[in-house]
Amino acid sequence: MATAQYSSAPTVKKGVQPLRAGQGTSFIWRKLHSLLGIIPIGAFLLEHLLSNFEALKGPVAYGQQVRFLNSLPLVRVLEWVFIFLPILYHGLYGLYIWFRGKSNIVYYPWAGNWMYTAQRYTGLIAILYIGQHVLRQRFMGISLPENPGAAFAKVQHELANPWMLAVYIIAMIAICWHFAYGIWLFAAKWGITPGERARKRFGYVCTAIGIGLAIMGLASIWAFVGPTYRNAPDIVPLSSIAAPAVAGTHAG
Amino acid sequence: MATKTVQLEIKRQASPDAASDWERFEVEWRPGLNVTSALMDIALNPVTADGRPTTPVTYDSNCLEEICGSCAMRINGKARMACSTLIENIEQPVRIEPLSKFPLVRDLQVDRSVLFENLKAVKAWVPIDGTYDLGPGPRVFPQEQEVSYPLSNCISCTCCMEVCPQFTEETGFVGAATIAQVRLFNNHPTGSVLKEERLRALAGDGGIQECGFAQNCVEVCPKQLPLTNAISDVSRDVLIQKAKDCLRG
Repeated sequence: MATAQYSSAPTVKKGVQPLRAGQGTSFIWRKLHSLLGIIPIGAFLLEHLLSNFEALKGPVAYGQQVRFLNSLPLVRVLEWVFIFLPILYHGLYGLYIWFRGKSNIVYYPWAGNWMYTAQRYTGLIAILYIGQHVLRQRFMGISLPENPGAAFAKVQHELANPWMLAVYIIAMIAICWHFAYGIWLFAAKWGITPGERARKRFGYVCTAIGIGLAIMGLASIWAFVGPTYRNAPDIVPLSSIAAPAVAGTHAG
Repeated sequence: MATKTVQLEIKRQASPDAASDWERFEVEWRPGLNVTSALMDIALNPVTADGRPTTPVTYDSNCLEEICGSCAMRINGKARMACSTLIENIEQPVRIEPLSKFPLVRDLQVDRSVLFENLKAVKAWVPIDGTYDLGPGPRVFPQEQEVSYPLSNCISCTCCMEVCPQFTEETGFVGAATIAQVRLFNNHPTGSVLKEERLRALAGDGGIQECGFAQNCVEVCPKQLPLTNAISDVSRDVLIQKAKDCLRG
């Protein structure tokens, strides 16, 4: 029998709708986005910048670093599960977050609001940059997993184009900014720094991390365009201590 | 003796679906004049600056001392309380508009019932109703009072929601005020009986995860609530609650 039921239907007709208490799955997807930015993407960024830093020691050291990374067990699985897919998800969900928000920096030009906006634009720069970077450096031209000795020259040729050099410098700064502020946001939004002073102090830490990483990254770029290793050979011979680079899928 | 006057530009809209337009008004200046008293002056003599008779401006207000939360509006572009906005502290002409994120009723009056619905959705109360006398409540220690008192100052003005870039129709974000009240009632020894329900509610769509930590809420709050601290604390509690629920199956 139909009986009169208690109705909790909200009385809000137009405008922003009330909380859908306990309903939906957006919580888990949003938290996943947040977590992936730190691990594995942030961890990978650190690894990448450290590896790039080897370029300051020259083409051989750089090639050996590339060969070492490609000699990791299940390296293609690691690459997809811990790098490509997380970045793809983080980037696409980040755009989704951006489009659903509504920036009001014009009316409220406050520091936190600027950071909020900057986090979105630096994220966009990161997506565009990483897209072309992965395509051109990983999937186009000479394949570095098979030819780690060609790594230095490949990057050097890329950066010989001044436009590309500008793209790399802008993206390096934008990505380090995005990561540094991302750690700060993570700590704030996961309840690690619930106090005003804690957030302020951690802000200094994140600033130091961001500036440190950006300087490291820019120094690595300098290694490719500076005079020290000008006109490096297309392929440098690497010492043969390490195991072969790839587990024989498509050799050559 | 020449009298000093105040120029006001007010956005008018006769009904939710009507077109809006701006009207200019001029009222006499006096020391301590605030925006609500200027609106009252206009109501006494509803004539525009160019001498055309018009309707009195519709707006919400009640206490006139920044304690009821009714008179939030956008003054010179920023959301604030009309009663505590002194004319002498702001630029002229004073541009007054209704809050932009809530359905408009008329002129400066908007329908802010979404906040009431959100407070109900998280059970922002202390459950003490019973069929018999429950006796005195547990003691609240001064240390807990120190945490609760600032949160209890919320006047439901919705300024924090108005200025939040994440409070949009697309996200349906719950907003800082409701999250702060969850922190308040979870901190209450009797109110905490509903703690788990409140935290689960806040993990729903439009919940605490939508916060982008732009921190506009805490900048704009007329009562200086520690809103970002509350969001951070409650975020952690919600996360832990969800993890517990997941592991307990």
